[in-house]
Amino acid sequence: MENLDAGIIYNKEVGPGYFLLGLDWRPLAFKPGQFVMLRVSDGLDPLLRRPFGIYRVMSGGNGVELLYQVVGKGTRILSLKRPGERLGVLGPLGNGFTMPPKGARVVMVAGGMGIVPLYPFAHEVRGAVLLYGTRDAAQASVAGDFKELGCPVRHATEDGSLGVKGYVTELLKEELTRDAVVYACGPAPMLKAVAAMAAGSGTQCYVSLERSMACGIGVCLGCAVKGGAHADAENKLYKMVCSDGPVFESKEIDWEAF
Amino acid sequence: MKEISVNALAVEIAGIRMKNPVMTASGTFGYGLEFKPYTRLDAIGAVIVKGLSLRPRPGNPGPRIVETPCGMLNAIGLQNVGVDCFINEKLPLLKDVKTPVIANIFGETVSDYAEVAKRLDSAQGVAGLEVNISCPNVKAGGMVFGTDPASAYKVVSAVRASTRLPVITKLSPNVTDIRVMVRAVEDAGTDAISLINTITGMVIDTERRRPAIANRIGGLSGPAIRPIAVRMVWEAASVAKTPLIGIGGITTGTDAMEFILAGATAVQVGTASFIDPDAAVKVAEGINEYVTRHKTSVAALVGAVGR
Ligand SMILES: Cc1cc2nc3c(=O)[nH]c(=O)nc-3n(C[C@H](O)[C@H](O)[C@H](O)COP(=O)(O)OP(=O)(O)OC[C@H]3O[C@@H](n4cnc5c(N)ncnc54)[C@H](O)[C@@H]3O)c2cc1C
Ligand SMILES: Cc1cc2nc3c(=O)[nH]c(=O)nc-3n(C[C@H](O)[C@H](O)[C@H](O)COP(=O)(O)O)c2cc1C
Ligand code: FES
Repeated sequence: MENLDAGIIYNKEVGPGYFLLGLDWRPLAFKPGQFVMLRVSDGLDPLLRRPFGIYRVMSGGNGVELLYQVVGKGTRILSLKRPGERLGVLGPLGNGFTMPPKGARVVMVAGGMGIVPLYPFAHEVRGAVLLYGTRDAAQASVAGDFKELGCPVRHATEDGSLGVKGYVTELLKEELTRDAVVYACGPAPMLKAVAAMAAGSGTQCYVSLERSMACGIGVCLGCAVKGGAHADAENKLYKMVCSDGPVFESKEIDWEAF
Repeated sequence: MKEISVNALAVEIAGIRMKNPVMTASGTFGYGLEFKPYTRLDAIGAVIVKGLSLRPRPGNPGPRIVETPCGMLNAIGLQNVGVDCFINEKLPLLKDVKTPVIANIFGETVSDYAEVAKRLDSAQGVAGLEVNISCPNVKAGGMVFGTDPASAYKVVSAVRASTRLPVITKLSPNVTDIRVMVRAVEDAGTDAISLINTITGMVIDTERRRPAIANRIGGLSGPAIRPIAVRMVWEAASVAKTPLIGIGGITTGTDAMEFILAGATAVQVGTASFIDPDAAVKVAEGINEYVTRHKTSVAALVGAVGR
């Protein structure tokens, strides 16, 4: 866990509103699924850091890459940063993915930017299949990185411009065998649907969650999600996405409340 | 830091001796330990931990926070591990830290407050209590203790009678005249006063046409509230007989100096610790730079802005 200023090596648009950010910071170690809190502005507005998953180690090993989408004020400011500028980085944070048992058939399910934490995971668990839901074909360009790792990729697009037309959960139906283990990250409605399907077929399922964050280190208690039936003691009713997660086994979460 | 500066920074509040006037604000520094990887706990004046209640509290449903211009709105719901867990599991881990640890307490009834205070009185390693009176009084239909002088008086008297530890009362800014509250809690025997807690506020998500946080209203903190906080410290200083601790939007040594010049003997750093877990130490360094440059000391500048 480090708290430092990292220099920007590049910050380039690689898809519609998607940016690949190369930082000259090489964490001593990080687990797939961990994230960093980035300070996108030295000023007081926006005040809070923004969370981003660690995408991969830069080729050559001199830093790490983050992949982000411009959705609001903070990410817009970030997208305007030039090489040579510096950004506050706090991390790596969170628990990261639990590796699947040997011999399991690993199914990754990504929606939009939910693809990010799955890349370092796929790097360790070679050969896992990726089910990738995006709005259209243009948004799905990142899939090339997974193909290079040897992952079979199946697409679902809302407009039908690539793969099946509709949601990624359509593809999941066919992959949900008993020997499968599911790893999912994406928008809330997608995760809800994936968790329900996994529960229905008795498939083990891990989800990486997103919540607005202030601290990223488990102290503001702002990023709470309600625990599922397994939530034990009263003060453990809520789990912190930043420090208990962002990865949870799907049965740990109360999806009704999510 | 140079020897001379160390002395120039030292302050004492109700018998709690601090190497510098910077404390961490309750609810923004966890139980202290979480910050060990990121900052030098020994370089902070005092650590104030998350608010403690008699029993553990689960807190509010999410969303609990939303960012605002230069600030944030929160309704955490006072989630905490409970006073017994704090004493048995958290406090022992802080015993090597050479910084006073102050427990922030709250309750839903006057007797809750008194009982929490009593339990902490016999705990090893607690330098003082900070009483958060910005909490709904269950017996008075949920009206907040800290917005009614008579209720505030009752709470502080009960805590005072239950402990030998120094008692700091933390005031709510959500009142018409802060001086009335200062007098009430001083009459009840508080040793010091900290202010301000968060200011009630609301943010609406216009696309969804509903409040941005689940509790609908929350507490505003961060640089956005600083001028209000400085004004309230300055007003409180006009009547206070006990030392004041200034809180609200401090991110730099200069921010802290505003509170000290307005009449605060010490300050607390809150939301800034979320943005930089080393913020409290940096504020202390900033104060050091200020007093060195002006060849003076913190103690000499308390209230120096005059009236
Ligand atoms: C653990 C974690 C890892 C993440 N990893 C990545 C990543 O690798 N790449 C990436 O592009 N994004 C990632 N995100 C989401 C990213 O943090 C948000 O998109 C970003 O904070 C938005 O900031 P903003 O100032 O641009 O938007 P804001 O102005 O704050 O908000 C604009 C819009 O985005 C929505 N929004 C804000 N925060 C989030 C959020 N956390 N999740 C979903 N919607 C949000 C708001 O509701 C609003 O509608 C991650 C989030 C978490 C919690
Ligand atoms: C997320 C959060 C949680 C807080 N929890 C508490 C608490 O448990 N007890 C308390 O007395 N004050 C609590 N506060 C108030 C702060 O201690 C402080 O008074 C306030 O945030 C103003 O200071 P700041 O602007 O520096 O943050 C909390 C504030 C925030 C932002
Ligand atoms: S963001 Fe502060 S506890 Fe998770």
